[in-house]
Amino acid sequence: MFDQIFGNYLVSSGNITKEQFQDVLESEGKIRVKLGLIAVAEKLMTEAQADEINKLQAIMDRRFGDIAVEKGYLSDDQVTQLLKKQGNIYMVFVQTLIDKGYMTLEEIDAALNKYQEEQGFTHSDMDALVSGDVDRTVQLFLPANTELCDKHCGIAIRTFIRIINSSAYVSKAYLVDELAADKFAMQALEGDHKMVSGFVGAGDDLLAVANPFAGEEFETVDMDALDAVGEFTNCINGLFASEMSGEGVDLDMLPPVFYENPVTISGNQFCVFPIHVDGKEIKFVLAIDTDIEVK
Amino acid sequence: MAKILIVDDSRTSRKMLRNILESNGHEIVDEAVNGQDGVQKFQSLKPDVVTLDITMPVVDGVEALKMIKALDGNSKVVMVTAAGQKNKMIDCIKAGANEFLTKPFDQQEILDVIAKLV
Repeated sequence: MFDQIFGNYLVSSGNITKEQFQDVLESEGKIRVKLGLIAVAEKLMTEAQADEINKLQAIMDRRFGDIAVEKGYLSDDQVTQLLKKQGNIYMVFVQTLIDKGYMTLEEIDAALNKYQEEQGFTHSDMDALVSGDVDRTVQLFLPANTELCDKHCGIAIRTFIRIINSSAYVSKAYLVDELAADKFAMQALEGDHKMVSGFVGAGDDLLAVANPFAGEEFETVDMDALDAVGEFTNCINGLFASEMSGEGVDLDMLPPVFYENPVTISGNQFCVFPIHVDGKEIKFVLAIDTDIEVK
Repeated sequence: MAKILIVDDSRTSRKMLRNILESNGHEIVDEAVNGQDGVQKFQSLKPDVVTLDITMPVVDGVEALKMIKALDGNSKVVMVTAAGQKNKMIDCIKAGANEFLTKPFDQQEILDVIAKLV
């Protein structure tokens, strides 16, 4: 994810053009291969085993390598070797920038230091970002909040990347008491905690979620498209409820609710997490143990 | 091939299920958007299999399942659930659910479950 975050920073700070960034991403995509494909090519797994894990990933919030080890298809060492073969996505990004002559290593280092300073990240934070660890990246972009917020947002972003768009990236989340929403699909959870989560988008931006999830080509964000966003939210909440259930926390999901016309979401310090996908900003909204009103 | 009634408040899920089932030779006799609508259509259409979403407005899947089983103890009902609905799934088992499907859907799982019931 950090290739997207840093690449967009390089564009906004004038280090490279949008076209150069797009060119680097396209080249990077050709180099980067999925872990399952490498495992099959290396004859460590069969295609059927890799397919089985891909399907399991749709209903389990787990990494490919973790499931493969649990199923006994791969050993920890084999996963480590495969990850090495796959390469660090940020390193591939940097290498491609240099190979294409868009920036020198010195220029990239200088831009990275400036980014770190502007964002207020520590060296350890930067290590986490560069390593490509989605969990730690998500935590760095969240406001100081609760463990539940970290956990839910982590599942939401990982599921987004897995099911909706692997190029999605996040920017800093923030807490608000009020948020204007052009279109909004949400779902409430009740039980040991009272929660609301959902997606807000301006204009037709939520099509970036609705179309890939439903496998359809909605032209506008109408109630059908919002229904697809609601179903995706339901999947995220299901994964979260499942994880919490393992910790003895009971949560029940209520039917998703949609708002096709502009509304104002009000509550007490709820979290708004911007997700960027295909040039659009979608807001993931999460309220925990606070009353939410939508008008 | 089975005659199937799809009960789900989500248009997205109904369409996904319909596409998978119809393209594999099953007949969708109708769709219902909540449990109450589903029970009424079950009574009038007498499908071979009902797919019943757990989380629905008006009458939820667990209540609808109880009503359908009270009408016909031999009915074949597949409960559709998101991950993480363990307690509701236990209620469904107690109420006589025949099978479960988890969202997001996997085509092969759907076809296997229907084949098991008919």
